[in-house]
Amino acid sequence: MTPEGPLKLVSELLDLPLIDSEGCYCGIVDDLEFTGGPGKPLKLKALLVGPGAYAGRLPAWAMAVVGLVAGDRIVRVPFERVVTIGPAAYLDRPAKALGLDRSEERAGRWIPRKGAL
Amino acid sequence: MNPLELTLGIMTAVGGFVDISELVFAAKAGSTFGFALIWVFAFATIGIMTFSEMSGRVAAVAKQPVFNLMRHRLGLKLGLVVLAASIISNLITCAAEVGGVALVLNYLTGAPYLLLAVGLTAALVVSIWVLPFQWIERTYGLLGLFMIVFAVALVANHPPWREIAGGFVPQVPRGLSSKELLTFAYFAVAIVSAVMFPYEVYFYSSGGIEEGWTPKDLLTNRITSIVGMGLGSVLAIAILVNSAVLFTPANVDPAIPGSAALQAAIPFGKWGLILALLGMFFAVAGAAVETCLANAYSIAQFFGWRWGRHKKPWEAPRFTVTWVALFLAALAIVLTGVDVMTLVEFAVLFSILVLPLTYLPLLLLAGDAKLMRQHANGRLAKTLGWFYFAIVTLAALAALPLYLLTSGGNG
Repeated sequence: MTPEGPLKLVSELLDLPLIDSEGCYCGIVDDLEFTGGPGKPLKLKALLVGPGAYAGRLPAWAMAVVGLVAGDRIVRVPFERVVTIGPAAYLDRPAKALGLDRSEERAGRWIPRKGAL
Repeated sequence: MNPLELTLGIMTAVGGFVDISELVFAAKAGSTFGFALIWVFAFATIGIMTFSEMSGRVAAVAKQPVFNLMRHRLGLKLGLVVLAASIISNLITCAAEVGGVALVLNYLTGAPYLLLAVGLTAALVVSIWVLPFQWIERTYGLLGLFMIVFAVALVANHPPWREIAGGFVPQVPRGLSSKELLTFAYFAVAIVSAVMFPYEVYFYSSGGIEEGWTPKDLLTNRITSIVGMGLGSVLAIAILVNSAVLFTPANVDPAIPGSAALQAAIPFGKWGLILALLGMFFAVAGAAVETCLANAYSIAQFFGWRWGRHKKPWEAPRFTVTWVALFLAALAIVLTGVDVMTLVEFAVLFSILVLPLTYLPLLLLAGDAKLMRQHANGRLAKTLGWFYFAIVTLAALAALPLYLLTSGGNG
C-alpha cells in the first residue's frame, strides 16, 4: 500500500511499527498530525512518535505515569517520508536523519561495546 | 532442511515444556492421579503446536513478531493491559526458573542457594551478551536434550504400556470425592497453562524474525513447531509416568523439583541422577533465558525499539538494558527468599489469565488474508485455533476459583 492511496487511519496506520531505510525499527505511529481547517481539505501532515504523542491517548493517571517514566518527547515524521504501508510503515530515511534514534543513542551510552560474538 | 534449524523449536519446547513448573506439575500429577492426566498434556500439546505454528507463520510472512502487531490490532489501551500482564507473568516465571536452576545447582554442588542464584544470573547474562541468537538457541536447546534421560528411564522402568495408552483417552478418574475432583480440575488447568505458556509464542515468533525467516521457511516452521513441541510433550509425559510408576507405590510426594531427578537415579544410579540434573539445569536455564528475552522482546516490540540478539548488544541499546534489568528484577525476587514452589504456582496462575489475550490477536492476525495472503489460516488452523482459544478462555475463568478452592492443588 502506498501513502498516496486510500488509507484507513486507525486500522491501517495508527500503532504501526516504523522501519527506517536501513531496515531498523525506529518507533511506532503513536499519533497523527493533520493540516486543514473548516472548509479546507484535511491532509495528513506527520506521524507523531514518542511518549508525548501516545500519552494523550491514555487515561489521565496513565499519562502521569508515562510522563514520569518516559518523558514527553515527540518526534514529527513528515508523511512524505513514508514509502509504503503494510505490516509496518517503511521510511525513506535513516532513523538518525529523522531524529528517531535519540533515545537509543542515550541508552547506548550505558552499554560497553565489547564482549559480544 | 538442516537439522540444526530445529533448535529454535527444541529450545522453545524444552524450555517451555520441561521448565520448573512442568517438572513440578508433571511429577505431582503422576503421583497424585496416576496416568489420568496424560491426555491433558497431549491435548494441550496440540494447542501449543497450533499457536506456535501460527506465530512462526506470521513472523515469516508478515515479517513482524506477535507483539509488534498486537498493539496495532488491539489498540494502545488494551495492548498496554496485555503488555503489563505479560510482563508480570513472564517476570514471575523467569524468577521461578532462576530459583529453580539455583536449586538444581544446589543439589549438584551443595553450595548456598542464594549465592548460586546470584552467580547463575551473572552467568546467564554473560551467555546472552556473548552469544549470538543462533548460538543461544543451540546451546540451551541441544544441552537441554540431556532431559531425554527421563524418556530412557521410562523404558527402563518397565511401565504398564497398555495403561499408559489408556491415559491418552480423555477421562476423569472414577470414585473421586468432590474435593479430589476440584484438585483434578486444578491440575488440568495448571497443565494447560504450563504447556501453553504465553512466553513460548513470544519467544518463538521473535526467534523466527531473529533467524530471518521468509515464506520459504514455512515448512521449517511447521516441522519445528510439531517436532519441538512433540519432543517437549514426550519428556513431560515421561516425567508424569515415571512419577506414577515410582513415586505412587512408595507414597512419595514430589513436591520439590529435585524429586523428579530421582526418576533417572532409580534405574541408572549415580550417572542417571547426574544426567537428569544436567538436563534439568540446561532446560530450566534455557527457560530462564527464554522468559527473560520474551519479556524484553514484548516491551521493545510494543514501543517500536530496535531489538534482537542477531544484533550486537550495543546496536539495540534499549532492548539490551531491558533484558539485563529484567534478569536483575527476577534475581531480586529470588533474593527475597520467596519459595520457588510459590513462584511456580503464581507463574502458572498468571499465565493462564494472560493466555486468551495473547492468542486472540494472534488468531486474528494469522487469519487476516490481507496481511497473510495465501498463507492465512486454512480450515484446520482456524478450527483448531478457535477451539483452543475457547479452551484457554474457559481455563482462565476457572483458574483463580480452582486455585483458591484447592489451595493451589494441595487439597
